[in-house]
Amino acid sequence: MRIRKSVSTLSAVELTDIQDAFAAAYDLHDDRGYAHYAGLHGLPLPAYCQHGTLLFLPWHRAYLYFFEKALTDALRRAHDDQHTTVSVPWWDWTSSAAHRDGLPAGYLAHPDGKPNPLAAGPVTLGDGDLAGVRENLPGAITGGPSPVTTRDPEDPDELPRTGTVARALKAPTFSTFSTLLEGIHNGVHGWVGGAMSAVPIAAYDPVFWAHHAMIDRLWYLWQISPNGASPPASLLDQALAPWPVTVRQVLDISKLDYEYAAQVIG
Amino acid sequence: MVTAAEARTGSTEQTLIIDLPFPAEEGLGPFTRADLVFTGVDHSGSSYEVRLFLNNPAATASTPRTAEHGYAGRFTVFGHGGCYGDEGHCEVPARSADPTDLRLAHPLTPLDTYVTITDALRRVLDHGGALQTVTLVPVSITPRRADRRPAPDLLHFADVSLRAYLTSTEADAGPAGR
Repeated sequence: MRIRKSVSTLSAVELTDIQDAFAAAYDLHDDRGYAHYAGLHGLPLPAYCQHGTLLFLPWHRAYLYFFEKALTDALRRAHDDQHTTVSVPWWDWTSSAAHRDGLPAGYLAHPDGKPNPLAAGPVTLGDGDLAGVRENLPGAITGGPSPVTTRDPEDPDELPRTGTVARALKAPTFSTFSTLLEGIHNGVHGWVGGAMSAVPIAAYDPVFWAHHAMIDRLWYLWQISPNGASPPASLLDQALAPWPVTVRQVLDISKLDYEYAAQVIG
Repeated sequence: MVTAAEARTGSTEQTLIIDLPFPAEEGLGPFTRADLVFTGVDHSGSSYEVRLFLNNPAATASTPRTAEHGYAGRFTVFGHGGCYGDEGHCEVPARSADPTDLRLAHPLTPLDTYVTITDALRRVLDHGGALQTVTLVPVSITPRRADRRPAPDLLHFADVSLRAYLTSTEADAGPAGR
Protein backbone atom coordinates (compact mmCIF):
# COMPACT_ATOMS: atom_id res chain seq x y z
CA MET A 1 0.00 0.00 0.00
CA ARG A 2 1.47 3.35 -1.02
CA ILE A 3 1.11 6.12 1.54
CA ARG A 4 0.56 9.68 0.41
CA LYS A 5 1.74 12.21 2.96
CA SER A 6 1.48 15.92 3.46
CA VAL A 7 4.45 17.76 1.99
CA SER A 8 4.93 19.29 5.44
CA THR A 9 5.63 15.89 7.00
CA LEU A 10 8.02 14.44 4.41
CA SER A 11 11.39 13.32 5.74
CA ALA A 12 14.51 14.59 4.01
CA VAL A 13 14.96 11.17 2.38
CA GLU A 14 11.36 11.11 1.14
CA LEU A 15 11.67 14.59 -0.32
CA THR A 16 14.93 13.64 -2.03
CA ASP A 17 13.27 10.55 -3.51
CA ILE A 18 10.45 12.68 -4.94
CA GLN A 19 12.95 15.14 -6.38
CA ASP A 20 14.94 12.29 -7.88
CA ALA A 21 11.80 10.72 -9.33
CA PHE A 22 10.75 13.98 -11.04
CA ALA A 23 14.28 14.53 -12.36
CA ALA A 24 14.36 10.98 -13.73
CA ALA A 25 10.93 11.44 -15.35
CA TYR A 26 12.11 14.71 -16.96
CA ASP A 27 14.90 12.74 -18.63
CA LEU A 28 12.54 10.21 -20.20
CA HIS A 29 11.29 11.51 -23.53
CA ASP A 30 8.93 8.69 -24.46
CA ASP A 31 5.53 7.67 -23.11
CA ARG A 32 7.04 6.86 -19.71
CA GLY A 33 8.32 10.38 -19.18
CA TYR A 34 7.13 13.60 -17.57
CA ALA A 35 6.33 15.41 -20.79
CA HIS A 36 3.99 12.62 -21.85
CA TYR A 37 2.00 12.77 -18.63
CA ALA A 38 1.95 16.57 -18.38
CA GLY A 39 0.85 16.77 -21.99
CA LEU A 40 -2.20 14.59 -21.47
CA HIS A 41 -3.76 17.43 -19.47
CA GLY A 42 -3.48 19.96 -22.25
CA LEU A 43 -0.77 20.47 -24.82
CA PRO A 44 0.14 18.87 -27.09
CA LEU A 45 -3.34 18.05 -28.30
CA PRO A 46 -5.46 16.08 -27.73
CA ALA A 47 -6.28 17.28 -24.22
CA TYR A 48 -7.95 14.60 -22.12
CA CYS A 49 -8.56 16.47 -18.87
CA GLN A 50 -12.08 16.87 -17.55
CA HIS A 51 -13.18 20.21 -16.12
CA GLY A 52 -16.63 21.59 -15.51
CA THR A 53 -18.16 18.12 -15.61
CA LEU A 54 -18.85 15.44 -13.03
CA LEU A 55 -15.86 13.53 -14.39
CA PHE A 56 -13.50 16.13 -12.89
CA LEU A 57 -12.75 14.19 -9.72
CA PRO A 58 -12.58 10.63 -11.10
CA TRP A 59 -10.53 11.65 -14.14
CA HIS A 60 -7.92 13.42 -12.04
CA ARG A 61 -7.80 10.49 -9.57
CA ALA A 62 -6.90 8.19 -12.45
CA TYR A 63 -4.40 10.76 -13.70
CA LEU A 64 -2.54 10.85 -10.37
CA TYR A 65 -2.68 7.07 -10.04
CA PHE A 66 -0.96 6.40 -13.35
CA PHE A 67 1.46 9.31 -12.96
CA GLU A 68 2.48 8.02 -9.56
CA LYS A 69 3.28 4.65 -11.09
CA ALA A 70 5.35 6.36 -13.78
CA LEU A 71 7.25 8.29 -11.10
CA THR A 72 8.04 5.07 -9.26
CA ASP A 73 9.23 3.41 -12.46
CA ALA A 74 11.48 6.38 -13.19
CA LEU A 75 12.89 6.38 -9.65
CA ARG A 76 13.57 2.64 -9.74
CA ARG A 77 15.51 3.08 -12.96
CA ALA A 78 17.42 6.06 -11.61
CA HIS A 79 18.29 4.38 -8.31
CA ASP A 80 18.72 0.91 -9.84
CA ASP A 81 16.42 -0.38 -7.12
CA GLN A 82 13.35 -2.37 -8.15
CA HIS A 83 11.78 -2.18 -4.71
CA THR A 84 11.71 1.54 -4.06
CA THR A 85 8.42 3.41 -4.37
CA VAL A 86 7.43 7.02 -4.34
CA SER A 87 4.07 8.66 -3.62
CA VAL A 88 2.78 12.05 -4.63
CA PRO A 89 2.51 14.23 -1.51
CA TRP A 90 -0.39 16.58 -0.93
CA TRP A 91 -0.09 20.31 -0.41
CA ASP A 92 -2.54 21.48 2.26
CA TRP A 93 -3.14 25.05 1.13
CA THR A 94 -5.58 25.57 4.01
CA SER A 95 -2.86 25.08 6.63
CA SER A 96 -1.51 27.90 8.75
CA ALA A 97 1.91 27.29 7.20
CA ALA A 98 0.49 27.76 3.70
CA HIS A 99 -1.34 30.93 4.75
CA ARG A 100 1.93 32.26 6.14
CA ASP A 101 4.48 31.01 3.61
CA GLY A 102 2.52 30.18 0.47
CA LEU A 103 4.04 27.43 -1.63
CA PRO A 104 5.64 24.54 0.28
CA ALA A 105 9.37 24.94 0.86
CA GLY A 106 10.19 21.69 -0.91
CA TYR A 107 8.81 23.12 -4.14
CA LEU A 108 10.83 26.34 -4.08
CA ALA A 109 14.15 27.08 -5.72
CA HIS A 110 17.10 26.55 -3.41
CA PRO A 111 18.56 29.88 -2.20
CA ASP A 112 22.07 28.57 -2.89
CA GLY A 113 21.27 27.96 -6.55
CA LYS A 114 21.34 24.18 -6.25
CA PRO A 115 18.79 22.75 -8.75
CA ASN A 116 15.43 21.65 -7.35
CA PRO A 117 13.40 19.60 -9.84
CA LEU A 118 10.22 20.53 -7.95
CA ALA A 119 10.69 24.28 -8.41
CA ALA A 120 9.87 24.25 -12.14
CA GLY A 121 9.23 21.70 -14.85
CA PRO A 122 10.50 21.56 -18.43
CA VAL A 123 7.92 22.46 -21.06
CA THR A 124 8.96 20.23 -23.93
CA LEU A 125 6.48 21.26 -26.61
CA GLY A 126 6.89 21.65 -30.33
CA ASP A 127 7.63 25.03 -31.84
CA GLY A 128 4.01 25.66 -32.87
CA ASP A 129 2.59 24.98 -29.41
CA LEU A 130 5.35 27.00 -27.73
CA ALA A 131 4.57 29.95 -29.97
CA GLY A 132 0.88 29.62 -29.12
CA VAL A 133 1.56 29.51 -25.39
CA ARG A 134 3.81 32.55 -25.59
CA GLU A 135 1.20 34.47 -27.55
CA ASN A 136 -1.87 33.44 -25.54
CA LEU A 137 -0.33 33.08 -22.09
CA PRO A 138 2.57 35.54 -21.83
CA GLY A 139 4.75 34.89 -18.81
CA ALA A 140 3.57 31.30 -18.25
CA ILE A 141 6.89 29.83 -19.34
CA THR A 142 10.42 31.14 -19.54
CA GLY A 143 11.98 32.32 -22.79
CA GLY A 144 14.47 30.50 -24.97
CA PRO A 145 14.46 27.14 -26.70
CA SER A 146 14.19 25.06 -23.49
CA PRO A 147 11.51 26.79 -21.43
CA VAL A 148 10.42 25.83 -17.95
CA THR A 149 7.30 26.69 -16.00
CA THR A 150 6.99 29.93 -14.05
CA ARG A 151 4.96 30.95 -10.99
CA ASP A 152 3.72 34.27 -9.67
CA PRO A 153 1.85 33.47 -6.46
CA GLU A 154 -0.54 35.84 -4.73
CA ASP A 155 -0.65 36.77 -1.05
CA PRO A 156 -0.55 33.49 0.93
CA ASP A 157 -3.58 34.49 2.97
CA GLU A 158 -5.65 34.48 -0.24
CA LEU A 159 -5.44 30.67 -0.35
CA PRO A 160 -8.64 28.78 0.50
CA ARG A 161 -9.50 28.65 4.18
CA THR A 162 -10.41 25.64 6.29
CA GLY A 163 -13.97 26.93 6.63
CA THR A 164 -14.43 26.94 2.87
CA VAL A 165 -13.21 23.37 2.61
CA ALA A 166 -15.28 22.32 5.63
CA ARG A 167 -18.39 23.63 3.94
CA ALA A 168 -17.59 21.64 0.79
CA LEU A 169 -17.06 18.51 2.88
CA LYS A 170 -20.62 18.84 4.14
CA ALA A 171 -22.07 18.87 0.64
CA PRO A 172 -25.05 16.54 0.46
CA THR A 173 -24.60 15.22 -3.08
CA PHE A 174 -21.73 14.26 -5.36
CA SER A 175 -22.76 16.92 -7.84
CA THR A 176 -22.73 19.65 -5.21
CA PHE A 177 -19.44 18.46 -3.76
CA SER A 178 -17.75 18.19 -7.14
CA THR A 179 -18.82 21.69 -8.18
CA LEU A 180 -17.72 23.23 -4.88
CA LEU A 181 -14.37 21.44 -4.82
CA GLU A 182 -13.63 22.20 -8.46
CA GLY A 183 -14.27 25.87 -7.74
CA ILE A 184 -11.80 25.79 -4.85
CA HIS A 185 -9.35 23.96 -7.11
CA ASN A 186 -9.68 26.62 -9.80
CA GLY A 187 -8.84 29.33 -7.30
CA VAL A 188 -5.59 27.63 -6.26
CA HIS A 189 -4.53 27.27 -9.89
CA GLY A 190 -5.00 31.01 -10.27
CA TRP A 191 -3.29 31.73 -6.96
CA VAL A 192 -0.08 29.97 -8.07
CA GLY A 193 -0.12 31.84 -11.37
CA GLY A 194 2.39 31.20 -14.14
CA ALA A 195 1.88 27.90 -15.93
CA MET A 196 -0.56 26.70 -13.27
CA SER A 197 -3.03 29.40 -14.25
CA ALA A 198 -4.00 27.83 -17.57
CA VAL A 199 -5.27 24.37 -18.50
CA PRO A 200 -2.93 23.69 -21.46
CA ILE A 201 0.33 23.77 -19.49
CA ALA A 202 -0.67 23.57 -15.81
CA ALA A 203 0.50 19.96 -15.40
CA TYR A 204 4.04 20.87 -16.46
CA ASP A 205 4.48 22.59 -13.07
CA PRO A 206 5.51 19.97 -10.46
CA VAL A 207 3.30 21.58 -7.82
CA PHE A 208 0.28 20.63 -9.98
CA TRP A 209 0.53 17.09 -8.63
CA ALA A 210 0.72 18.13 -4.98
CA HIS A 211 -2.29 20.39 -5.53
CA HIS A 212 -4.28 17.59 -7.13
CA ALA A 213 -3.26 15.14 -4.41
CA MET A 214 -4.91 17.59 -2.00
CA ILE A 215 -8.04 17.67 -4.16
CA ASP A 216 -8.09 13.88 -4.37
CA ARG A 217 -7.59 13.61 -0.62
CA LEU A 218 -10.51 15.93 0.02
CA TRP A 219 -12.68 13.80 -2.25
CA TYR A 220 -11.56 10.74 -0.26
CA LEU A 221 -12.40 12.50 3.03
CA TRP A 222 -15.85 13.38 1.69
CA GLN A 223 -16.34 9.80 0.48
CA ILE A 224 -15.77 8.38 3.96
CA SER A 225 -17.83 11.10 5.66
CA PRO A 226 -21.53 10.63 6.46
CA ASN A 227 -22.34 12.74 3.39
CA GLY A 228 -20.21 10.71 1.00
CA ALA A 229 -22.00 9.26 -2.00
CA SER A 230 -21.27 7.77 -5.37
CA PRO A 231 -21.43 9.73 -8.59
CA PRO A 232 -24.66 9.32 -10.57
CA ALA A 233 -25.19 5.73 -11.72
CA SER A 234 -25.13 6.84 -15.34
CA LEU A 235 -21.47 7.84 -14.92
CA LEU A 236 -20.15 4.74 -13.18
CA ASP A 237 -19.23 2.82 -16.31
CA GLN A 238 -17.89 5.85 -18.14
CA ALA A 239 -14.33 5.29 -19.36
CA LEU A 240 -11.74 7.83 -18.24
CA ALA A 241 -9.71 8.11 -21.43
CA PRO A 242 -6.85 7.68 -21.98
CA TRP A 243 -6.71 5.58 -18.83
CA PRO A 244 -7.97 1.99 -19.08
CA VAL A 245 -10.33 2.44 -16.15
CA THR A 246 -13.91 3.50 -15.54
CA VAL A 247 -15.34 5.84 -12.92
CA ARG A 248 -16.46 2.84 -10.89
CA GLN A 249 -12.91 1.49 -10.79
CA VAL A 250 -11.45 4.60 -9.16
CA LEU A 251 -14.04 5.13 -6.45
CA ASP A 252 -12.32 3.01 -3.78
CA ILE A 253 -8.72 4.12 -3.24
CA SER A 254 -7.91 0.96 -1.28
CA LYS A 255 -8.40 -0.92 -4.55
CA LEU A 256 -5.90 1.46 -6.14
CA ASP A 257 -3.40 0.50 -3.45
CA TYR A 258 -2.84 3.88 -1.86
CA GLU A 259 -3.90 5.66 1.29
CA TYR A 260 -3.73 9.16 2.75
CA ALA A 261 -1.84 9.25 6.03
CA ALA A 262 -2.56 11.84 8.67
CA GLN A 263 0.61 10.84 10.48
CA VAL A 264 3.32 8.23 10.05
CA ILE A 265 5.81 7.51 12.83
CA GLY A 266 8.80 5.25 12.46
CA MET B 1 -33.71 33.59 -14.54
CA VAL B 2 -32.00 36.53 -16.21
CA THR B 3 -30.20 36.03 -19.48
CA ALA B 4 -26.81 37.58 -20.11
CA ALA B 5 -28.39 39.69 -22.82
CA GLU B 6 -30.55 41.39 -20.19
CA ALA B 7 -27.54 42.48 -18.13
CA ARG B 8 -26.65 46.17 -18.03
CA THR B 9 -23.11 47.43 -18.41
CA GLY B 10 -21.72 49.23 -15.38
CA SER B 11 -20.57 52.82 -15.53
CA THR B 12 -16.96 51.78 -16.12
CA GLU B 13 -18.02 49.39 -18.89
CA GLN B 14 -15.96 46.76 -17.09
CA THR B 15 -18.78 45.19 -15.07
CA LEU B 16 -22.22 43.73 -15.64
CA ILE B 17 -25.25 44.61 -13.54
CA ILE B 18 -28.05 42.10 -13.21
CA ASP B 19 -31.48 43.19 -12.01
CA LEU B 20 -32.50 40.39 -9.71
CA PRO B 21 -35.20 41.56 -7.26
CA PHE B 22 -35.52 39.42 -4.14
CA PRO B 23 -37.92 38.83 -2.48
CA ALA B 24 -40.04 38.49 -5.56
CA GLU B 25 -43.57 39.84 -5.78
CA GLU B 26 -45.03 36.86 -3.92
CA GLY B 27 -43.06 37.85 -0.82
CA LEU B 28 -40.25 36.43 1.23
CA GLY B 29 -40.46 32.78 2.17
CA PRO B 30 -38.18 31.00 4.60
CA PHE B 31 -34.85 29.81 3.25
CA THR B 32 -31.66 28.35 4.66
CA ARG B 33 -29.42 28.67 1.62
CA ALA B 34 -29.27 30.94 -1.39
CA ASP B 35 -27.19 30.35 -4.49
CA LEU B 36 -26.44 32.43 -7.53
CA VAL B 37 -26.45 29.89 -10.33
CA PHE B 38 -24.71 30.61 -13.61
CA THR B 39 -25.22 28.46 -16.68
CA GLY B 40 -23.34 28.36 -19.96
CA VAL B 41 -20.13 29.88 -18.59
CA ASP B 42 -17.35 30.12 -21.18
CA HIS B 43 -13.93 28.73 -20.25
CA SER B 44 -12.17 28.75 -23.59
CA GLY B 45 -9.93 31.77 -23.00
CA SER B 46 -7.68 32.94 -20.18
CA SER B 47 -8.56 32.09 -16.61
CA TYR B 48 -10.61 34.69 -14.76
CA GLU B 49 -12.60 35.24 -11.63
CA VAL B 50 -15.97 36.90 -11.22
CA ARG B 51 -16.55 38.86 -8.02
CA LEU B 52 -20.17 39.30 -6.97
CA PHE B 53 -21.53 42.35 -5.18
CA LEU B 54 -25.11 42.77 -3.97
CA ASN B 55 -26.83 46.15 -4.30
CA ASN B 56 -23.58 47.83 -5.29
CA PRO B 57 -23.87 48.74 -8.98
CA ALA B 58 -20.79 50.97 -8.68
CA ALA B 59 -18.53 48.05 -7.72
CA THR B 60 -15.37 47.66 -9.76
CA ALA B 61 -12.23 45.54 -9.68
CA SER B 62 -10.80 47.86 -7.03
CA THR B 63 -13.79 47.60 -4.70
CA PRO B 64 -12.80 45.87 -1.45
CA ARG B 65 -14.17 42.36 -1.06
CA THR B 66 -15.93 43.14 2.20
CA ALA B 67 -19.45 42.86 3.56
CA GLU B 68 -19.70 46.65 3.79
CA HIS B 69 -19.41 46.82 0.02
CA GLY B 70 -21.94 44.08 -0.59
CA TYR B 71 -19.36 41.45 -1.49
CA ALA B 72 -21.04 38.05 -1.70
CA GLY B 73 -18.32 35.73 -3.03
CA ARG B 74 -16.63 34.87 -6.29
CA PHE B 75 -16.09 32.03 -8.68
CA THR B 76 -12.96 31.23 -10.64
CA VAL B 77 -12.89 29.88 -14.17
CA PHE B 78 -9.86 27.73 -15.07
CA GLY B 79 -9.41 28.70 -18.69
CA HIS B 80 -8.15 26.77 -21.68
CA GLY B 81 -6.08 29.75 -22.78
CA GLY B 82 -7.08 29.96 -26.42
CA CYS B 83 -7.28 27.49 -29.27
CA TYR B 84 -4.24 25.42 -30.24
CA GLY B 85 -5.88 23.36 -32.95
CA ASP B 86 -6.63 24.05 -36.57
CA GLU B 87 -9.64 26.03 -37.75
CA GLY B 88 -12.82 24.65 -36.22
CA HIS B 89 -11.08 22.61 -33.53
CA CYS B 90 -12.47 24.70 -30.70
CA GLU B 91 -15.97 25.15 -32.06
CA VAL B 92 -18.29 23.36 -29.67
CA PRO B 93 -20.73 21.15 -31.57
CA ALA B 94 -24.31 20.63 -30.45
CA ARG B 95 -24.77 17.49 -28.39
CA SER B 96 -25.67 14.56 -30.57
CA ALA B 97 -29.09 12.99 -30.24
CA ASP B 98 -27.68 9.74 -31.61
CA PRO B 99 -27.75 7.20 -28.73
CA THR B 100 -24.83 5.34 -30.27
CA ASP B 101 -22.63 8.43 -30.13
CA LEU B 102 -20.61 7.67 -27.00
CA ARG B 103 -18.18 10.56 -27.30
CA LEU B 104 -17.75 12.80 -24.28
CA ALA B 105 -18.90 16.38 -24.46
CA HIS B 106 -16.49 18.75 -26.21
CA PRO B 107 -13.91 19.99 -23.66
CA LEU B 108 -14.97 23.59 -24.23
CA THR B 109 -18.66 22.94 -23.60
CA PRO B 110 -19.78 25.88 -21.43
CA LEU B 111 -20.09 24.93 -17.78
CA ASP B 112 -22.56 25.61 -14.99
CA THR B 113 -21.48 26.78 -11.57
CA TYR B 114 -22.84 28.51 -8.49
CA VAL B 115 -21.83 30.66 -5.57
CA THR B 116 -23.58 30.35 -2.23
CA ILE B 117 -24.47 33.86 -1.08
CA THR B 118 -26.63 33.07 1.94
CA ASP B 119 -24.81 35.31 4.42
CA ALA B 120 -24.55 38.28 2.08
CA LEU B 121 -28.21 38.03 1.11
CA ARG B 122 -29.26 37.82 4.74
CA ARG B 123 -27.29 40.99 5.48
CA VAL B 124 -29.31 42.78 2.81
CA LEU B 125 -32.62 41.44 4.08
CA ASP B 126 -31.83 41.89 7.79
CA HIS B 127 -31.50 45.60 7.29
CA GLY B 128 -35.05 45.76 6.05
CA GLY B 129 -33.98 45.98 2.48
CA ALA B 130 -34.39 43.89 -0.61
CA LEU B 131 -31.98 42.66 -3.20
CA GLN B 132 -32.15 44.77 -6.32
CA THR B 133 -28.96 44.14 -8.25
CA VAL B 134 -26.03 41.79 -8.51
CA THR B 135 -22.89 43.29 -9.99
CA LEU B 136 -20.52 40.93 -11.76
CA VAL B 137 -16.89 42.09 -11.73
CA PRO B 138 -14.74 39.90 -13.99
CA VAL B 139 -10.97 40.06 -13.46
CA SER B 140 -8.45 38.15 -15.58
CA ILE B 141 -6.14 35.60 -13.98
CA THR B 142 -3.17 35.83 -16.28
CA PRO B 143 0.10 33.98 -15.64
CA ARG B 144 1.71 37.24 -14.48
CA ARG B 145 -0.08 39.07 -11.67
CA ALA B 146 1.05 42.38 -13.12
CA ASP B 147 -1.03 41.69 -16.24
CA ARG B 148 -4.31 41.11 -14.39
CA ARG B 149 -7.02 43.50 -15.41
CA PRO B 150 -10.78 44.00 -15.39
CA ALA B 151 -11.83 41.55 -18.07
CA PRO B 152 -15.40 42.04 -19.32
CA ASP B 153 -14.31 40.41 -22.58
CA LEU B 154 -13.71 37.07 -20.85
CA LEU B 155 -17.09 36.70 -19.14
CA HIS B 156 -19.67 35.02 -21.35
CA PHE B 157 -22.56 33.08 -19.88
CA ALA B 158 -26.10 32.10 -20.76
CA ASP B 159 -28.11 33.11 -17.70
CA VAL B 160 -28.06 33.63 -13.96
CA SER B 161 -30.69 32.89 -11.34
CA LEU B 162 -31.05 33.21 -7.60
CA ARG B 163 -32.15 30.00 -5.98
CA ALA B 164 -33.25 29.96 -2.35
CA TYR B 165 -33.52 26.61 -0.62
CA LEU B 166 -35.20 25.50 2.57
CA THR B 167 -33.20 22.54 3.78
CA SER B 168 -31.77 21.38 7.04
CA THR B 169 -28.37 20.00 6.11
CA GLU B 170 -25.27 21.36 7.76
CA ALA B 171 -23.98 22.35 4.36
CA ASP B 172 -26.41 25.23 4.39
CA ALA B 173 -25.04 26.74 7.56
CA GLY B 174 -21.42 27.23 6.52
CA PRO B 175 -19.67 30.50 5.77
CA ALA B 176 -19.62 31.91 2.29
CA GLY B 177 -16.60 31.03 0.17
CA ARG B 178 -13.84 33.56 -0.15
